[in-house]
Amino acid sequence: MVTVIFIAIASLIIASAVLVVVSREIVRAALWLIATFFAVGALYLLLEAEFIGVAQVLIYVGAVSILILFAIMLTRQHEWQEPAWRAGPWWIALAGAIGLAAVLITTLGAFPWQLHANDLPVSRAPQLGTALMREYLLPFQLAAVVLLVALIGAVVIALEERRRRIPTLADDVAAQRATTDRTEDGTS
Amino acid sequence: MRYPIAVSQILVIEQAPGWLVAALNHAIIAGILLIAGATTMMLQVWVERRVIARMQDRLGPNRVGPEGILQSIADGIKMFTKEDIVPRAADRWVHLLAPIVALAPIAMMLAVLPWGRGLVAVDLEVGVLYIAAVSSISGVGLMMAGWGSRNTFALLGAMRSIAQLIAYEIPLIIALLGIVLLTGGMSLARMPELQSGIPLFGSSIPGAPDLGLGWFIFTPVGLLGGIIFFICALAEGERTPFDIPEADSEIVAGYMTEYSGMKFAVFYIAQYLLNFALAVLTAVVFLGGWQGPGVAWLADAGLGAAASLLSLLWLLLKAWAIFVLMVIIRAAVPRLRVDQLMAFAWKYLLPLALVNVASAALWVGLTQWSSIEWGNLIPIDALTPWQRIGVAAIVTAVLNISATRWVLRINRAPAAAAVATIAPA
Repeated sequence: MVTVIFIAIASLIIASAVLVVVSREIVRAALWLIATFFAVGALYLLLEAEFIGVAQVLIYVGAVSILILFAIMLTRQHEWQEPAWRAGPWWIALAGAIGLAAVLITTLGAFPWQLHANDLPVSRAPQLGTALMREYLLPFQLAAVVLLVALIGAVVIALEERRRRIPTLADDVAAQRATTDRTEDGTS
Repeated sequence: MRYPIAVSQILVIEQAPGWLVAALNHAIIAGILLIAGATTMMLQVWVERRVIARMQDRLGPNRVGPEGILQSIADGIKMFTKEDIVPRAADRWVHLLAPIVALAPIAMMLAVLPWGRGLVAVDLEVGVLYIAAVSSISGVGLMMAGWGSRNTFALLGAMRSIAQLIAYEIPLIIALLGIVLLTGGMSLARMPELQSGIPLFGSSIPGAPDLGLGWFIFTPVGLLGGIIFFICALAEGERTPFDIPEADSEIVAGYMTEYSGMKFAVFYIAQYLLNFALAVLTAVVFLGGWQGPGVAWLADAGLGAAASLLSLLWLLLKAWAIFVLMVIIRAAVPRLRVDQLMAFAWKYLLPLALVNVASAALWVGLTQWSSIEWGNLIPIDALTPWQRIGVAAIVTAVLNISATRWVLRINRAPAAAAVATIAPA
C-alpha cells in the first residue's frame, strides 16, 4: 500500500514538475510549482517526517510560492510575456541538463539505499529543536544574521523603488482593462 | 522491480482489510467533520444576520422556519440555481480551481482541533505548525481567484488579502509560540489537558478541586497572547474591521468579484468555516478548550461518554461565544484603512507578541526550572509550586503591562509631537 501511495505522489511530483517547465504562461508555471512543493510535502509525511513535511508546506507553499506569485505580478510586463524558453541557444541548455543529470545519477548511485527504519535516527520536533540549540547553534545564528541582512536589503531596495516608480502588472492590467472598455464602447 | 508485487498484494483480498479499515475509519471521521462544518456554516450565517439586525434595530431573516433558522438552506438552494458565469478573458482552469484551493486547506484545519475530551481526529505532534502551514495555503487560492478572473478589482482584492494575511500571520504565530513555550509542545490535543484545575494556579495547589478553569487566558502571558491572537484571527478571517480585501464600497467584492453561483458559495463557506475554525482554535489554546466545570467530575465518576459530551458542549459554547463576539465587533467597528492595518500589525502587535514570548520564557523559568538551572542566583527551590506560579504571574504581569504602555506611548509620540507644534499649550 505504501508503495502505491508513493507511486501516486511521485508521479504527481514528476508530472507537475514537467508542467512547470512546459507551461507557456508564467503564472501557470508558478501554480504548478506550488503543486510540486505540496506533493513533496506529502512525500515527507509518507516518510513519517511530520515536522519536515509541515515545514515544507509552511515555507514553500505558504511563503516562497506566494512570494513568487507576488514577484511575477509586480514585475514589468515584457519580462513575463516573452517566453523564456526561446532565450538562448538550445545546446547550452542541453549541456546543462546532461551535466546536472550526471551529477545527480552519480550521487544517487553512491547512496546506500538498502535502509531499515530501525537504523535511522529518530528526528522528531523536540530532537530537531535540541540539535539546533546545542550542536548547530552557530549555523542557526548565522542563518539569523543572513536573514537580517536580507531584511535590511529589502528595506533599502523598497526605499529606492519609491523614488523611481516602475509600472507593475497591476498597473498594466488596469491600463489594459481601460483600453478594452473604450474599444468595446466604440464598437457597440 | 518491486512494483508488481505491491500491486498483487492489493489485489489479494485476504491482505486488504488492514488498510481498508484504516481508510474507512478516516473517511467516516472526515465525513462527520465536513458535514458538521457545513451545518455550522449555515447556522453561523443565520446567527450573524440576526445579531447584526438586532444591533442595527432591524429584525433580520425570520420567515423561513422558526425564527428564520432555515434561511441559509433556502439561500443554498438559490445558489445552486444560479448561472455559473466565467469571464471570457479569464483563465478558465485557474478560475475554476481557485475556490477549491481556498476551501480545502480550511477543511484540513478541522482535523487537528480537539473537539472534546478524547475527541480529536488526528493528534499531530506538530499541530500548531500544521495549522499555520495549512491556513497559509488558502492564500494561494485567493491569489488564483484574483489572477484567474482577469479583473482589476479581483486582482486588487487578492493583493490586499495576501498582504494582510502575511502581515497578521506573524503576530498570530508568535502569540501561539508563547503558549507553546508554556505547554512545552506543539500538539493541540494536549493543550486543553494542561488547562485543568482552578484559574491561574491550575492544578498546582494540592487538594484544590479540578474545576477545569485553569485556562491560559487567566495568566498574564495567556491574556496578552489571547488578545493578540484574537485580533489576528479577525484579520486572518477577513472580518470587519479587517475586511479590506473585500471592501464592498471600494473594490466591489475583492477576489470574489467575478464569481457567481456555487463557486461564490464555496468562497463563502470557506470564509465562515475559517472563522469558526479560528474561534475553536482561540478556545482551545487560550480558553481551556473542552475544559469546564463538571468534566473532570464526570470523568472521575466513571462516566467517560458523558464527560466527553459535556466537554464537547463546553468547547462549542466557547467557540460560539467567540464567533458572536466577532459579529458584534463587525456591527460596531468601522473598517480600517490599509496603512492603519499595516501599522497596527507591525508597530503594535508584533512588538507586543515578542515581549509576550519573553514573558512566557520567564514564566517557564520561574515555574519549572530548578535553582541550579538559574545558576544558584535565585533560591527558587524554596518555594512551593503555587508560590512559584504566583511569583511568575507578578513578574510577567509587570513586564506585559509595562510593555503595552510603552508600545502605546511610543506609537503616539509622533502624533503628540505634531499636535504640540500646531497648538502650543
